[in-house]
Amino acid sequence: MLTRKLKPSTFLQHVLLILMSVIAIFPLYWMVISSFKNEAEIFTASLFPASPTFKNYLYAFTEMPIFRMMLNSFITASLLTILQLGTSILAGYAFVRWQFRGSFLIYTILSLSWLIPVQAIMIPNYVLINQIGLNETLLGIVIPLAVSTFAIMSMYQSFKAFPVALIEAARLDGESDFGILAKIILPNMKSTIASLGILLFISGWNEYLWPMLITTQMENAPIQIGLRAFVNSDENLWGSLMAATTISSLPILIIYFILRKHVIDSFVRFGIK
Amino acid sequence: MSKPIENNMSTTLPEGILGSKSKTVNKRKKGTLKAYLYLLPALLLLGIWMYRPLLSTFNLAFYQWGMVPGTTPVPVGWDNFVRLFSSKDFGISVSNTIFYTVGLLPFSIIIPLFLAVATHNMKGKMKNVYRAFFFIPLILAPVSVGAIWRWLFHPSNGLVNIMLVKLGVIEKNIAFFSDPLFAKWLVLLITGWKMIGFSTIMFSAALTGISKDYYEAVSLDGANTLQQFKDITLPLLSPMILFMVTMSILFSSQWSFAYIDILTAGGPFGTSTNIYYEMYKYGFSNLDVGMGSAAAVLFFIVFAFIALALNMLSKKYAFYDN
Repeated sequence: MLTRKLKPSTFLQHVLLILMSVIAIFPLYWMVISSFKNEAEIFTASLFPASPTFKNYLYAFTEMPIFRMMLNSFITASLLTILQLGTSILAGYAFVRWQFRGSFLIYTILSLSWLIPVQAIMIPNYVLINQIGLNETLLGIVIPLAVSTFAIMSMYQSFKAFPVALIEAARLDGESDFGILAKIILPNMKSTIASLGILLFISGWNEYLWPMLITTQMENAPIQIGLRAFVNSDENLWGSLMAATTISSLPILIIYFILRKHVIDSFVRFGIK
Repeated sequence: MSKPIENNMSTTLPEGILGSKSKTVNKRKKGTLKAYLYLLPALLLLGIWMYRPLLSTFNLAFYQWGMVPGTTPVPVGWDNFVRLFSSKDFGISVSNTIFYTVGLLPFSIIIPLFLAVATHNMKGKMKNVYRAFFFIPLILAPVSVGAIWRWLFHPSNGLVNIMLVKLGVIEKNIAFFSDPLFAKWLVLLITGWKMIGFSTIMFSAALTGISKDYYEAVSLDGANTLQQFKDITLPLLSPMILFMVTMSILFSSQWSFAYIDILTAGGPFGTSTNIYYEMYKYGFSNLDVGMGSAAAVLFFIVFAFIALALNMLSKKYAFYDN
C-alpha cells in the first residue's frame, strides 16, 4: 500500500507537527475527560473514564447558577457584538463617504485609543459605573465596551476597499446617505461584517477583567466570572470544575466546529487585540 | 507673461463660478457635519469611557485615594511616584514584564513560523487538520484555559505530577504555582501556548500570498529548502513578522494578565506578577488608587514610545513585494 516513500525530513516534520497538535489539544481533551470521571477515578492518570458519570455536571449545576450565567454571557456578548459593529460601521462609513476637515486627526485619536490598556482606565470607569448605579448589571459591563477601536480600524480598512463608483452612482440616483450605507454598502459587505461579528462575539464571550470588576454576585455575572470564583474556591472539586469549564467553552467550540473556516478567516482578516 | 493672465482671471471671474465655489464650500461643510454625525456614537463613547478615564488616571496619579464612597482624593504631589519607585514589587513587576514580553516572542514568532512553513506545502487534508488544532487554544476563554492548566499542574493530584513521579523524574510532587522557580515560567508557557495559533494562522495567510514562481526560480538555481526559506520566505514575510512582533510586544502584558490572576495571583512572593497585574492589585486589593494611577501613567508613556518606535521600525525595514 505505502509505495510513496517518506523523506526523513518530511517524516520529522510530521512528528513535530503531531507533537505540537497534541500539546495544543490535549488540555482540552483532559478537561472533557476529567468532567466525566467519578470520584474514584478523578485523581488517576487514566485517559478514558472507565465508568462515565454525569455527577460532576449535576453538582456544577447545583453549585452555580450556570444557566443564568450562560444567559448573561450570551446577552453580554450579543449586545457587545451589535453595538461594536454598529458604531464601527457608522464610523467607517463617515471616513469613506466624506472628505472632511479633521478626518485625519479624528482617525488618529480613534486609533490611538487602541493602545490604552483596560488596566490604565479601569479605576475611573469603575467609579463612574458605581456613581450611575450600573454596577451588578449587564449594561454596566456592556456600555463602557460598546465601542471597539479595533472594530473601527478593521471596518475602516474594509470600507476603504469598497468601490467609490458604486457610491457615486447611488448618490446621483438621489439615494440618501443612510440609504447608500444600508442598501448599497452593507449588503455587499455581508461576509466581512459577519467575520468581524464572529470575532467580536468570541472576544465578548471571553471578556474577563471588566466584568469581574462590575459584577460580584453570581446571578449577575457572565459565566467566566463564575468560573473564576469556582477556581479560586480552593475546594477539591476538580471534576465539577472541569464540567463547568466544559459547559462554558461549549458555545465557542460549537461556533468553531460549525463555522471553522469563517472563524479562522475572521482572525486572519482582522487579527486580535 | 503670467501675471496679466492671473490679474485677468481674478478680475473677470464670472459670478457663476464664484457662486458655485461658495456652494461647494457649503456642501463641504454639510458633508463635515454629516460625517461628524456618523462618528458621534463612537467619539462620544470613546470620549466617556477611554479618554476621560485616561485623563482622570493621569490626574489621580497625584492624589491619594482609597475609592471609599463619600471621600475625596487628597493631593500629594509626586509622592505616589516616589512610593512606586521605592516599592520592591514595582521593580519585580517591571523586570517580569520584560521577561514575559521577551519570553513570548518564540511563541509568537519562531514556533508559528515553523508551523506555518511546515504545513504550507502540505497537500490534502492534513494541512487544515493541523492548523485547526493549533487554533483551538486561541478561541478558548482565558479563565477556562487557566482552570484546565491549574488542574493539569495540581500540586497533589495533577496529571503532570502523576506522570513525572511515575517516570521517575521527580520523587515528590511539586507545587508548581507556588514555587518561585516554576511559577512565572508556567505563566509564560501557558500564555505562549494560547497564542501560538494566532501567529501561525497569520503567517499561513501571508505565505499563501507569496507567488510560487519565486520558489521555482531559485530551486532551478539549486537552492535547498533552507536557502529558499532564508532568501524568499523570510524577506517576503518580513512585514507580517514585524507586525506580529509589534503585536506581541505591545499586548503580551495584557495577554498574560488573566493567567497571572488565575494561576498564581502574582505569587509566590510577587515573583510572577507583571505591571498590569500590579496596577490591578494597587487599585482593587490595596485600594491605593494613587499608586495604581502612577504606575498606569508611567506605563502608558513607556508603551506609547515603544509603539511609536515599532511603528517607525516597521515602516523602515519591512520589505514589501509590490
